[in-house]
Amino acid sequence: MSAMRVDAKVVMLGKESVGKTSLVERYVHHRFLVGPYQNTIGAAFVAKPIQVGDKVITLGIWDTAGSERYEAMSRIYYRGARAAVVCYDLTDSSSFQRARFWVKELQNCEEHCKIYLCGTKNDLIEGDRSLRQIDYHDAQDFAEEIGAQHFETSSKTGSNVDDLFQKVAEDYNNTAFQYMTEEPGVDLGQKKDSYFYSCCHNN
Amino acid sequence: MMSQRSERRGIHLDQSELLCKKGCGYYGNTAWQGLCSKCWREENQRERQKQIQEDWALAERLQREEEEAYASRHQRAQSQPTITPFSKFEERKTKEKSSKVNTVTKFFTPSAKTPPKKDTTSFDTQSSPSPSSSSSRHPPADTDHATREFIDFLKPLKSGREIFKQCRAFTESMVYKRDMGADELSECVQDFYQNLSDRLQTQFKGSTEHVESVMDEVEKYMMTRLYKEVFCPETTDDEKKDLAIQKRIRALHWVTIEMLCVPVDEEIPEVSDSVVKAITDVIEMDSKRVPKDKLACITRCSKHIFNAIKISKKEAASADDFLPTLIYIVLKANPPRLQSNIQYITRFCNPSRLMTGEDGYYFTNLCCAVAFIEKLDGQSLNLSPEEFELYMSGQASPHWPQGAGASSPGSAALSQVHKRLDLLTGLGERQDRVIEKARQLESDLIDWTDEVEQKVQSVLESFPQETHNPTATTASGTTSAAASAIDSDNVENERLPPPLQPQVFAG
Ligand SMILES: Nc1nc2c(ncn2[C@@H]2O[C@H](COP(=O)(O)OP(=O)(O)O)[C@@H](O)[C@H]2O)c(=O)[nH]1
Ligand SMILES: [Mg+2]
Ligand SMILES: [Zn+2]
Repeated sequence: MSAMRVDAKVVMLGKESVGKTSLVERYVHHRFLVGPYQNTIGAAFVAKPIQVGDKVITLGIWDTAGSERYEAMSRIYYRGARAAVVCYDLTDSSSFQRARFWVKELQNCEEHCKIYLCGTKNDLIEGDRSLRQIDYHDAQDFAEEIGAQHFETSSKTGSNVDDLFQKVAEDYNNTAFQYMTEEPGVDLGQKKDSYFYSCCHNN
Repeated sequence: MMSQRSERRGIHLDQSELLCKKGCGYYGNTAWQGLCSKCWREENQRERQKQIQEDWALAERLQREEEEAYASRHQRAQSQPTITPFSKFEERKTKEKSSKVNTVTKFFTPSAKTPPKKDTTSFDTQSSPSPSSSSSRHPPADTDHATREFIDFLKPLKSGREIFKQCRAFTESMVYKRDMGADELSECVQDFYQNLSDRLQTQFKGSTEHVESVMDEVEKYMMTRLYKEVFCPETTDDEKKDLAIQKRIRALHWVTIEMLCVPVDEEIPEVSDSVVKAITDVIEMDSKRVPKDKLACITRCSKHIFNAIKISKKEAASADDFLPTLIYIVLKANPPRLQSNIQYITRFCNPSRLMTGEDGYYFTNLCCAVAFIEKLDGQSLNLSPEEFELYMSGQASPHWPQGAGASSPGSAALSQVHKRLDLLTGLGERQDRVIEKARQLESDLIDWTDEVEQKVQSVLESFPQETHNPTATTASGTTSAAASAIDSDNVENERLPPPLQPQVFAG
């Protein structure tokens, strides 16, 4: 098999059923499926080339198992990630608490990982405003506090989904360029990463 | 003495297999061609030296060939001012050196100055023992093959010779670092990858694809060489962890597809076929030497898993289906030296492949599966702690229902079968234990007879000496002191008549 070369690792994080898989599915396959198999669509790993200026950046998007029984293992997943899309469900306040937890984890363990805070299922709120449990400005404040980008998306309508991943690719391109000019040939993220298994293993 | 030996053979069917073939007195192991670990390592070291010398011969021949080709080209087109590709690279390198202190250069300079100038053609390949066990499935010819392939790959490249020289020198230097800790070894190799790929990046003007194809070949060449030195090294507890996870997986034999919520229906022939293939692939990982090849096994295994899920669910699989199924496959396969393989890949794989790409994704999932298996408790299988304990201790099995309750006659028969099967497994385990104990006893007996034999031998050796030369006794050690005590008893005997001569009676 000829696996596609990937520039950056992007990991999807968030509580079960917030819509991580749907987000990837919408972005990569431009579809949103409802029905008995609705939460099993999409692939676990996708390599997606994105045009950024005159360059093509290939993002490797890592979906994670949603079930809570695997949550402890998520740390192993986000090691070495350049970007994390931390999702919460706009209609579920507990999912926002969970998102805060992931942000803290990332800040502690992965200093080179940029965080993208993503409120999902925006279409539900547009249908019925009373369903909103997370205020836009509260989330925005939190995003600013942690230096993250903030998006509200809908995988059903596709609203803001492309913008989110486009931003991820652009930011990566900028920082990659920055690294190169600052310190030629030194990838700060990498050496530590080579021990990622043994280190996670002891937690 | 002789009769004692043959008697011992009577008890021990394959004593020769138990002791090191080198006769050093330690126990040998079939996995090490019947040698003990010490002799095996020494033997390897020698083979490696031969390989290094062969490399030099190959590299020198290559260099000669290129120079000749260049000279003839040069003669034909004297008017055109051309620079040899090699000197061009050198030029750039020295420029670079002045601007940047490079960790890699320190590896290159000392070893590159000591080329073994021995006549390598006289080296006799036949003399090296032919490997037969699984741990050395690849004969030395394989590493030569890797070198040849590497050289062939590098030939068309502008700086091919330089790359080869650096890789060879680095690999050679690593052989002398075997007492280094595994993390340091890994750091050395990762530093080398990083520096080389940085330089290639400059050379290929940012064509990452090109750089990675070279780095793949570099990894292949180097790790084929270094595998035996750095896989499951003595300085780590990798081996202990291997045994621990193996035991753990064996203890979890009762875990069912339902407990893990694996969306796979093995009744469908194509699904069970994919499951078998996935198991085979993850087991095969251990037989590969190059980290990239090991990763490829995990990726193949993962693709079969995706296929099994897709057919079972008639839908594309997601991460939610994949991880539990991978856990199930690992439990079923109980892959050999699982931890060693994971550690080896983590330490020596090209980092970009491991961290970002598709292979990296599946590898990470395998790490998660292992972590899950290690920490797994009742809760992770939706069982009560009591149930979990019962299953772990073998007092109960999820295959036969506790209560007589809602079971149909068919399932009653089935549970009978399962009960019997569990009983058989239990018996099998006990038998293994008995055999293990018997082996222990056997080797204890060998030790003991050896000891006795040695003692008797030493007494026998000192005894006749002392009788002929009693004055020497005071000078020597304890055994002769004991012997002199016997001598003193024998003083009386000197007055006895000479011993009877054997006489032959005819008839
Ligand atoms: N209306 C609506 N439903 C969504 C959206 N995204 C996800 N869902 C639904 O939320 C449920 C969980 O989605 P999934 O992607 O499997 O969540 P995951 O566990 O985070 O991967 C599914 O039933 C989806 O159909 C969205 O943008 N709008
Ligand atoms: Mg999901
Ligand atoms: Zn030996």
